[in-house]
Amino acid sequence: MSGKKLSSTELNKLRKEAVQLRLSGETLAAIREKTGLSNPTIISSHKRFIAGGWEAINTGKRGRPKTALSGPDSQHDCLEHMLTDLPAENTLWSSQKVRDWFSTHHHDLSLKTINRYLKSWGITAPESHSTATPKEWLMQHHPGLNSVQGGALNGLSTDDMPARKVLKGGIASFTTPAGQTDPRVRGHFIYAQDFRGKLYWLATAEKPDSKLIIRFLALLSHQFKSEMILSFHCVPLERYTDIQQWLARQSQLTLLTYSASIQSTRPVITPAHGEKELTQSYVRTTMALTHLQRLEAESIQIMREVVSKADNPVMLYSIGKDSAVMLHLAMKAFHPSKPPFPLLHVDTGWKFRDMYSFRDELVKKLGVELITYMNPEGLEKDINPFTHGSALHTDIMKTEGLKQALNKFKFDVAFGGARRDEEKSRAKERIFSFRTADHRWDPKNQRPELWKNYNANKRPGESIRVFPLSNWTELDIWQYIYLEQIPIVPLYLSAERPVVERDGTLIMVDDERMPLKPGEVPMMKKVRFRTLGCYPLTGAVESEADTLPAIIQEMLLTKTSERQGRMIDHDSAASMEKKKQEGYF
Amino acid sequence: MAHSSEMISEDIVQYLKDHEQKSLLRFITCGSVDDGKSTLIGRLLYESKLLFEDQLAAVEAESKKFGTQGDNIDFALLVDGLAAEREQGITIDVAYRFFSTDKRKFIVADTPGHEQYTRNMVTGASTADVAILMVDARRGILTQTRRHSYLTSLIGIPHIVVAINKMDLVDYAEKTYTRIKEDYIEFARQIGIEQITFIPMSALAGDNITEPSNNMPWYHGTTLMGYLETVQVDDELMQKQPFRMAVQWVNRPNLDFRGFSGQLASGVIRPGDRIRALPSGKESTIATISTYDGNLPQAVAGQSVTLTLNDEIDISRGDMLTSAAEPASIGKQFETTIIWMHEEPLMPGRTYLMQIGSKTVTASITDIKHQVNVNTMEHLAAKKLELNGIGECNISLDQDIAFDPYKTNRDTGSFILIDRMTNNTVGAGLINFALRRSTNITVQHTEVNKAVRSSLKTQKPCIIWLTGLSGSGKSTIADLVEQKLLASGHHTYLLDGDNVRHGLNKDLGFTDQDRVENIRRIAEVSKLMVDAGLIVITSFISPFKAERQMARDMVEEGEFIEIFVNTPLDVAEDRDVKGLYKKARRGELKNFTGIDSPYEAPEAPELDLKTVEMTAEEAADKVIELLKSKGMI
Repeated sequence: MSGKKLSSTELNKLRKEAVQLRLSGETLAAIREKTGLSNPTIISSHKRFIAGGWEAINTGKRGRPKTALSGPDSQHDCLEHMLTDLPAENTLWSSQKVRDWFSTHHHDLSLKTINRYLKSWGITAPESHSTATPKEWLMQHHPGLNSVQGGALNGLSTDDMPARKVLKGGIASFTTPAGQTDPRVRGHFIYAQDFRGKLYWLATAEKPDSKLIIRFLALLSHQFKSEMILSFHCVPLERYTDIQQWLARQSQLTLLTYSASIQSTRPVITPAHGEKELTQSYVRTTMALTHLQRLEAESIQIMREVVSKADNPVMLYSIGKDSAVMLHLAMKAFHPSKPPFPLLHVDTGWKFRDMYSFRDELVKKLGVELITYMNPEGLEKDINPFTHGSALHTDIMKTEGLKQALNKFKFDVAFGGARRDEEKSRAKERIFSFRTADHRWDPKNQRPELWKNYNANKRPGESIRVFPLSNWTELDIWQYIYLEQIPIVPLYLSAERPVVERDGTLIMVDDERMPLKPGEVPMMKKVRFRTLGCYPLTGAVESEADTLPAIIQEMLLTKTSERQGRMIDHDSAASMEKKKQEGYF
Repeated sequence: MAHSSEMISEDIVQYLKDHEQKSLLRFITCGSVDDGKSTLIGRLLYESKLLFEDQLAAVEAESKKFGTQGDNIDFALLVDGLAAEREQGITIDVAYRFFSTDKRKFIVADTPGHEQYTRNMVTGASTADVAILMVDARRGILTQTRRHSYLTSLIGIPHIVVAINKMDLVDYAEKTYTRIKEDYIEFARQIGIEQITFIPMSALAGDNITEPSNNMPWYHGTTLMGYLETVQVDDELMQKQPFRMAVQWVNRPNLDFRGFSGQLASGVIRPGDRIRALPSGKESTIATISTYDGNLPQAVAGQSVTLTLNDEIDISRGDMLTSAAEPASIGKQFETTIIWMHEEPLMPGRTYLMQIGSKTVTASITDIKHQVNVNTMEHLAAKKLELNGIGECNISLDQDIAFDPYKTNRDTGSFILIDRMTNNTVGAGLINFALRRSTNITVQHTEVNKAVRSSLKTQKPCIIWLTGLSGSGKSTIADLVEQKLLASGHHTYLLDGDNVRHGLNKDLGFTDQDRVENIRRIAEVSKLMVDAGLIVITSFISPFKAERQMARDMVEEGEFIEIFVNTPLDVAEDRDVKGLYKKARRGELKNFTGIDSPYEAPEAPELDLKTVEMTAEEAADKVIELLKSKGMI
């Protein structure tokens, strides 16, 4: 194997490996054998390490500048260089700087060609299509700006803005158009963009951290001597003391951050919106009912039975898509009356912020009663998923919380949104599921359900969980949401969101309570959620699906079942069943 | 399926539009563990590509651990649910699975085949449009095949598929298939099954499941999937029946709107149609069919709607709205077929709650005409129905209900029976026809009534019901109470074993069913005496809560005074005045309460007499005190 054919990143990896082997006492011959590097390379790497540590082992651009016409190779060369070094004069990269690099190392290219290259590498600002003026941008993305006077923002108000240069910035990843990333050019870039579209960036092969952000900010301040405001798409950076200290030492740059994707705060507009004629086929006049009509009629029949038989029913409302469908069905079942029962949200305090705002708006819009309950003991002891683990958190905040709420308000029947297709152990769950006075589910003591005849008789103290969506599948739920234009939490749709990777799962950093490793900065990624729960326990999936049909398409083509995103399931195959016996749902 | 996946990736909006129009078919699979039923369902799920990779991976891992197919995927593991049964390797309850193809969406009820689970099969069958009966080609028609066929025809599933499975193990021989088919047709004729489709297949190898099998060129019929995708759904048949809708809920958001919510069991309804409310018989016309999506021009069987009427007539939950031209029947006594679903057997004479549609009434089984042996279809005489027993029973209700025979309408002709003590669903029933024998008996209004008779006696009539073990002291206390009442000038009558067992009830023994009937008669006699204005004292062991409840329900509120003569078994056995306990212990006396027949102590008696703490005299005084405090005397 010849080292010459490798990219510098790969070569650097081999060089580090060689040094490691050398340090562990391997002979040169053995290292040569394992890494394929020549003796002089191994020796020089080792010397560099002794002189300057691990970083010093890295080599920059290798060999003499080529004069051949630019092609994929020259593009890779440029990217490799960009990932490890700054352009001449130690400024940030820009399309002009890339052009300069090509002129020096290869040959002259037009700025248009350079921009085409940049686009193909994914070096574009994600929100560059925005036509907002600087002032509008700041108002949209930092709505609290005018209300915060003095203090952290140095008396900044939108009126001061014309005086300052406004930039929008963020962190993004290189992506090739085919969606495949060449391992030689895998990396991220921190960028700033002015309102004429000009982009400045710093590239890195590693995950960016707070140190790199400081370096970027320093370069940016150095490059533009004027005062400026940087509107940065990232989690709030105040939590990093090093960034805070750096910001405190200078007055030239004001850093504002926003993490919610602007799109995600807007109400979801389904593609069917405004095309009501298309969905009219759903209310058909032909005789045969469609499968969704049959399911809808069945769920409504179940809800009306419960309301007629229960003393004090309640609907468990989790804010998720199944709850959304269940609530919509309840609106239908009792129309023109309001559903004759309240909604109960057993809160853990760790739901996504978007979920809370969605819940409050929806309840207001529909005019239904909502009870929220949080386990006071858990709250007092600050039970959270990070220090106490997912199992204990779920048990205390969710399972115990639910039992307490049902006892406190003396609810005897509770609607739940569980479906039989969700998990194998649920395939046998009755629609009316009986619970003892201490809320336990006894698999041996469940009643047979014949025809549409549900026996809801019970003794005082006993309760029933009723699952009107039992016979719906995940596809049915989505299709019904699509057809009926039911509002759902925007988190189900893909948008740029700040995420960190934990044990192979992408976790959204929804607020400052999420612990980060020292210096770790969450990446902005286009992600969405297949299920919604507590944000630290809910895995995001990388996705481009930002419409309902796209979600359904993705769901049908992605062959992983729904609850995989939820960490509570991962314990064992029978864990759901165990949770049910304990009264989890 | 290839078509679907292409469409999903290329034109999802069109796919959704197509999918939206699919109909729903519910079917049930019947067979024993060895017939390959779970394998078939696993195969259908697999072929419809509805398994997720993580599910497949989990099943592959489990196949190695629990599987019976060596290193191959054990499809059966895809469908076995609960942990306990996974370890046992058998399915123990009804499980529902979901899949869809290009043409239809399916819900499968997977039910186990063992005899003791008749209950599960009836449950699964009650909502099915099609039944697939699994037959092992090596073993042919077995007793259980006959049982499943009988049950499917009883529950009235319109379409039956006989899946002759494991053809790979009989070398795909046409002869085997033909022999089994002929055997089955012969049997089916006897029990009146007409619509049968036979499909030779191998669920394990995939023959004739979705693709026609190359191994059986002699078979020219449809594949199983082909059949399921094209068979007509029951729904549309129900739309041709006359209109029926049980009122589930009266929708009254304000004074201007009064709607009746329910799901159409059959028929089609449009505004202007004339309807009749049952059992009241009042008529009106439909004003609107109100839904969340606006008023509808029509509603069909299967839809859940809210109807408003043009006239204000009194209708509440439990009533049935029917076509005025072809209304449902009304009845109070019926011949029914009952499938018993509980360990505690059905007893004639005992009262149960009957839930039919949205109505709940009190019912008692007046007679078990015969029990059906589900394996041989023979009719057997029976005094009670045990778990999984099926019997033709006469049933009597406390009020009129609207109904249709089960054969014409599965929704308005079916009911469940609920135990009044435990609240369990203990039985399922089908109405065959109404019995007309009591329709002409009406209550005659008379001038002299209970109030008049009792005021003459200056007392309030009541039943003092003493219950307790044999030897607890009931008769002694009853005697003392009657003496004390007579002494103060009251009119009484004492019913006890001596004056009842020798006459009115001399045809009854001591089995559980006979005890139930014994108490029913005593309760009826007591009721007549209460009507006569007497204070009735009864002294019977009356071991079952249900019968004491029945007696309580027969008279007016407050007229039934339950007194628990509370003597522990060891004390009563020690006294053994008549030497009965000794006899029972020696086995000479069967069904003796406390020894080999249960005594269910009252939970909330009006009076609890702990006889070990007091004399019989004191106990009788307490009863008198209670009567005074209640204002009876």
